[in-house]
Amino acid sequence: MTGDPTEAGNSEFEQRARALLIRSAEELPGAVRSRLTRARYAALAARPSQTPSLARRWVPAGVAVAAALGLLVLYLPHGRGLGENPVANAGMEDIELLTDNDAVPLNGDQDVDYDFYEWAAEEAAGATAPTLGS
Amino acid sequence: MAAFASLGAQTADLIPPGKAHLRDTTQDAARTLETFLTSVERKAFRIAQIALRHEADALDVVQDAMLQLSSRYASRPPEEWRPLFYRILENRVRDVQRRRSVRSRVMAYLPWRGQVEDDTVDPIEQAVDKAPLPPAQLESDEAMAALEQAIAALPARQQQAFLLRNLEGLDVAETAATMKCSQGSVKTHYFRALQALRLKLGEFRT
Repeated sequence: MTGDPTEAGNSEFEQRARALLIRSAEELPGAVRSRLTRARYAALAARPSQTPSLARRWVPAGVAVAAALGLLVLYLPHGRGLGENPVANAGMEDIELLTDNDAVPLNGDQDVDYDFYEWAAEEAAGATAPTLGS
Repeated sequence: MAAFASLGAQTADLIPPGKAHLRDTTQDAARTLETFLTSVERKAFRIAQIALRHEADALDVVQDAMLQLSSRYASRPPEEWRPLFYRILENRVRDVQRRRSVRSRVMAYLPWRGQVEDDTVDPIEQAVDKAPLPPAQLESDEAMAALEQAIAALPARQQQAFLLRNLEGLDVAETAATMKCSQGSVKTHYFRALQALRLKLGEFRT
């Protein structure tokens, strides 16, 4: 046992070992050093950005535009122009219906003479039924 | 460097006008991270290489650790990066060792084992360089090889404690944070590692 084991590098053995290890790390072949450099650049490129990215900045605007388009699609009438709007043309149609002589009168049942029909029915029944003793 | 410059330019483009302080902060943070990665990459590679005894695997592991630190923990205070980075590195090393262990167990049961060699070695890469080395260099290389072999034979925790303290130069508290154990455990692991290495190597010369 040599000295305090908690203090690395105190003994000659440790100093020699450390010197060897550090030298071996410093004298790596060129190919290895090059590969390590490439690995470092790849790692730096993978670092997440600290600033809002372009895509992230445009997300709220994109959502707003999409919502506006959705509302337009929902509320705009499909397949009809403004001139064909039924609400706009309702007045004209009503007038045509009222002025058409061939149309079935809307208040037709008010002119029906129900007494006449009842009398006619009774007469018809009396004519067809044979009277007793005749 | 060109790649980094273009990255900086791209980042700068995204910053809205009137928020230049954000650009400065971002560039400073990127520079700090780059400096940190530069300071640890070689040592991290050596730690992984000694643990895995495989250059390509060690490079992959270091790259993974860098990527994970950068993508997940870059927002943490820089003083936390070192222990975090070495903890990630250690986890990756263990993953590779576990995968190897499973693969070797599976391969042992396969009837055609030995016929398929996916880790084909390049004979040119493996060829010994015949050029004579200066005696001092030769001695140093031999000493390094012996040390590396002895460290690789240590149990994982002892190996980790020894390398983090001697190669990376972490203190006991940082090593404990990296190894996720108490400072007392770090001291014990380190002391045992030292004893085992001494026993194996004696007072080797550099």
